[in-house]
Amino acid sequence: MTDLLVALLAAFAVWTGWRVFRVDSMVRASFSLMLSFVAVGGIGVLLSAPYIGIATVFMMAVEMMVMAIFMVMFMMNPAGLNPMSMVHQHRISIGAGLLAALALGAAVLLSPLPSNPVLSEADVVAELGHELLGPSMLIFETAGVALLATMLGAVILSSRQGRFGNSDEGSRPPGLTPEGEPAGRKPEGGGGHHHHGGHG
Amino acid sequence: MTLSIVLLGAAALIGIGLYGALSQQSFVMLMMGLELMLNGALLAIIGFWSLALGGMPEGQLLAILVMAVMAIEMAIGFALIVAVYRKRQADMTESIGTLKQ
Amino acid sequence: MTALLALAVLGTLALGAVFAVAMDGRIAQLAAGFARQRIETEAPDRLNRDLAAVWYLALAAAGLSVVPFAPGLALIDSPVGIVIWGTCEALTIITVFLHGWSSNAPFPLIGAYRYVAIGLPVMLPSMFVLIAAALPAESLSLPAIVESQRGMWNVIRQPLGLPLFAIVVLTLTLRGPMDFADAADIATGTSAEESGAARGLWEIARAAMLVSASALAATLFLGGPLGPVLPGPVWLWIKTAALMAIFAWLGRRVARTTPSRMLTILWIVLLPLSFLHLAMAGVFAL
Repeated sequence: MTDLLVALLAAFAVWTGWRVFRVDSMVRASFSLMLSFVAVGGIGVLLSAPYIGIATVFMMAVEMMVMAIFMVMFMMNPAGLNPMSMVHQHRISIGAGLLAALALGAAVLLSPLPSNPVLSEADVVAELGHELLGPSMLIFETAGVALLATMLGAVILSSRQGRFGNSDEGSRPPGLTPEGEPAGRKPEGGGGHHHHGGHG
Repeated sequence: MTLSIVLLGAAALIGIGLYGALSQQSFVMLMMGLELMLNGALLAIIGFWSLALGGMPEGQLLAILVMAVMAIEMAIGFALIVAVYRKRQADMTESIGTLKQ
Repeated sequence: MTALLALAVLGTLALGAVFAVAMDGRIAQLAAGFARQRIETEAPDRLNRDLAAVWYLALAAAGLSVVPFAPGLALIDSPVGIVIWGTCEALTIITVFLHGWSSNAPFPLIGAYRYVAIGLPVMLPSMFVLIAAALPAESLSLPAIVESQRGMWNVIRQPLGLPLFAIVVLTLTLRGPMDFADAADIATGTSAEESGAARGLWEIARAAMLVSASALAATLFLGGPLGPVLPGPVWLWIKTAALMAIFAWLGRRVARTTPSRMLTILWIVLLPLSFLHLAMAGVFAL
């Protein structure tokens, strides 16, 4: 029974993962990825890891919401009314993806897998808590410091004002054709003096 | 048996993620490929922890670390995208070919 | 017992939703709405347009199902009940976004974006409040949190908790000062293109979410089913109804500000307040 449910959820995770690169709309793509994470979280709950499973769903719900916003910010056609395909080196990518999946799958099928399931009466959530704030506290705290560094780095990288002037000074959109007229916002008078503000 | 199913699913997720990360031109879609690979890793970790490690708490710790890695990847990734967009008004990998020189 | 608890969850949700709609004085309006025809928009995302209200209702039901109706008795008695509720909160924001996005029309989309911009920062104080409530219980399970309040309710030992959680509840139920999704200033936002039964179901789901969130607030801060003489479920219902009335009153009485100013308030005032709240709860728990 658990086997069947796990297999169904795994198939759903793979299918929604595949849909990410097949749907037209960016919003659909990011929520399709979220469904893939939800399925993995469901497998976690079934395999007696309730905290990890549900925390995955929670984290990914918030993360994919952020992702959807960024997608609409940066992509053409955010609503998904027109079909589009934006890929390069397509064949190599398909080959690499297939090769990775097949090689890993073969490794799974050919190697003897250990069987030592978690005891059903174990209080895994409390064990995780004691591990996080006990023997592995240094690792856990390192992750916290890394996240703090990430916050600082993200703010610094994405800030418009910098030590050497505004970061979009002299910025010129890429051409519609190679070496052609720029698309989007045109540089004004040789570039350099944008006082648009409002880019937050 | 269950472990094989879980690991095969993880292998497929990593394959699809690799395809996405290599093939997509848009930065944001490229990052989705990376996330999908991490999703596969997370699935494999959960499977191994639950069915092969006898509930060693370090396995759950590893899953938490993968989630932290995802958060970091996303935050820094989007910050880089914003920085590149400000400089080049570009959101595609081809538009920043001059970084090679 | 499971069947009885499931019945209690569904009954509470249904009766509470009727109570919530009655408090807003909108029963007649809602009933008339069901008779109206449905509007169609150009090229909508059909799946989410049809089902957004169903997702919302399902999240309200899932959130209520972790609430214990009597000491130690919850439909989903999970060791991580409070994390399940947090997940419902995050998914609610996505549901409201999808509701606005799926119509493929300007006002709903504006509502959806405004709501997400406000909803994501609201998640942060929400998580601190939930963690603080779990601290004295030393457990993430809601029955354990109820047990920890036998001597003293959390509302007394964590005075900032309920006010901070009220903001979360108002956000989740799209009410008053936090209603950046369905507000009148953008022609009812995410619901602007909805009419007829779909609109009615969305309103009912909103009311159901108020029930669910108030029941959780009662569990976290007012001791849930604990109380003298009367049986557990009755105490939970009384406390939930009282909180629903307070939240509805707040929704009517507090003015809404612009999204940008609300963002500043959320990040500059409420987030540090929730840090302070967590620190105080931690010191008290020690």
